[in-house]
Amino acid sequence: MARVVVLGAGISGHTAALHLRRRLAKEHEVVVVTPNSKWNWIPSNIWVGVGNMRTDQVTFPLAPVYRRKGIVFHQALATELHPEGSPDLAAPHVTVRYTDPRREGEVAQLTYDYLINATGPKLNFAATPGLGPDANTVSVCTPQHAVHASEELAKVIATLRQGVRQRLVVGVGHGTCTCEGAAFEYAFNVEHELRTAGVRDLAEVVYLTNEYELGDFGVGGMVFHQGGEETTSKYWTESLFRERDVRAIVQAHVEKVEPGVIHYEQLDGSRNTLTFDFAMLLPPFRGVDLTAFDAQGRDITSEMFAPNGFMKVDANYASPVYEDWSAADWPSTYESPRYPNVFGVGIAFAPPHQISTPRTSPNGTLITPAPPRTGMPSGVMGKTVALTIVDRITTGTATAARRASMADMGAACVASAGTGLRRGTAASMTMYPVVPDYARFPGSGRSDKDTFGEIGLAGHWTKYMLHVLFMYKAMARPGWHLIPE
Amino acid sequence: MDHANDDIARALMPSAHTLRERQNLLFQFWRFLALNLRFVTMIFKGEH
Ligand SMILES: Cc1cc2nc3c(=O)[nH]c(=O)nc-3n(C[C@H](O)[C@H](O)[C@H](O)COP(=O)(O)OP(=O)(O)OC[C@H]3O[C@@H](n4cnc5c(N)ncnc54)[C@H](O)[C@@H]3O)c2cc1C
Repeated sequence: MARVVVLGAGISGHTAALHLRRRLAKEHEVVVVTPNSKWNWIPSNIWVGVGNMRTDQVTFPLAPVYRRKGIVFHQALATELHPEGSPDLAAPHVTVRYTDPRREGEVAQLTYDYLINATGPKLNFAATPGLGPDANTVSVCTPQHAVHASEELAKVIATLRQGVRQRLVVGVGHGTCTCEGAAFEYAFNVEHELRTAGVRDLAEVVYLTNEYELGDFGVGGMVFHQGGEETTSKYWTESLFRERDVRAIVQAHVEKVEPGVIHYEQLDGSRNTLTFDFAMLLPPFRGVDLTAFDAQGRDITSEMFAPNGFMKVDANYASPVYEDWSAADWPSTYESPRYPNVFGVGIAFAPPHQISTPRTSPNGTLITPAPPRTGMPSGVMGKTVALTIVDRITTGTATAARRASMADMGAACVASAGTGLRRGTAASMTMYPVVPDYARFPGSGRSDKDTFGEIGLAGHWTKYMLHVLFMYKAMARPGWHLIPE
Repeated sequence: MDHANDDIARALMPSAHTLRERQNLLFQFWRFLALNLRFVTMIFKGEH
């Protein structure tokens, strides 16, 4: 009997757990440890954040699904990894602290044969003083944050209805943030809501970002080929900003947020302020606070994890200089170099470097998006690692790991720009590969044929369809595994 | 300071025809199929 413990039931961890359970014989145990009782389709939080969806439409309770599937569920937070065991317990194990109301605060140790760290990001609001829903800005990272954002947006719309001008700022709250696509999406959904409410003329919408230029999206921008012409995601995005009359501030690192005022530095070293009536700024991400210990109880956190808290896997972390970076630096098996039975997937793995060109202001502030690890690659990583583990358990040997590098993986991104079955719209993009490979694709680093952008109602239908399909898949309804990651 | 808003001001403005096309149900149904075909191709490219 083997036991596989999955930490985190987000997109990557839940995908891994379902595939493990489907492929492994019943004698093997699949265990999920996650602090929340509900699964959340995070991309649709954008719609909750403008009041177009309820939280129960983007979440469902995990316990009944895991019960039905035969997955052991611990509603708890993993706190420590002991991959060599400890003086008290010889087998590799994790220490968890329960968040389950029936066992709140209780601490336990769970032994494992294989461990998947799929703990995603820590929402690091603390990196920017005054940032976050407990301070001066709103967020759409969790369903609760999104509900709060929609309430604040409703207040601003009510003020606009009284004829008072308002400034709404949407973007990222630190120079090293990722997920610019989500901020972009929320900005255009807000703009759409303002128009629908008939108050657009009194509202100024500003997109505030750490991207060097619009259309970067943390992937260094894209070159699109359409209608026999070459264009870039920069021109394409700027056109949408012009059409929808959204202002932009790029190359910005938010230093602090005071009530109604954002203080930010830009790449040229200038320090500026922007007043606001409503601000949704995404936080920077870091790894969740896991610590690791060897058999003697020595702290090996800095050996297993990068300084940003993300877990080191089979990437090449030894190329500090941009000029030396290559697609081959990116991991493909997600195995810990120290412990081949420990894997890090989704946002939890430490990327070897940015995808966008790194840039620093004259004051030494890094203002460059961190690499996005979006839903599709996260799901693919979860499945890939699950299959590696299944291979090893079923053959009883250390078979070669399956591979899925972001330098050999495409991504489809549908950024909603307003809802409505007839009036909705979205900016749909595909890119292949996510990490540019200049050796395979000289020029832009990506395949001309497969890198593409399009705006229109069809994108909205697709985004809604993905919502329905991924909720269905995550609920493990009949045929779930036929829906790709 | 940056030049984002100057660049936006110079960006191509979609024509009335393009804007109509982006919301036209028939045309968008066709784009929906094309878009999803692209996505499926993308998925299989990454599978080994
Ligand atoms: C607002 C927003 C919109 C987005 N929109 C899109 C989109 O349209 N398309 C797209 O592809 N991607 C989108 N993304 C990105 C997408 O959500 C992520 O790529 C994806 O969620 C990453 O999956 P993950 O499994 O790594 O992390 P998550 O999905 O965040 O899951 C991590 C899980 O680990 C749990 N956890 C945390 N700490 C611990 C611990 N100590 N022990 C155990 N469990 C722990 C968390 O509670 C969570 O359940 C969006 C992100 C945001 C914030």
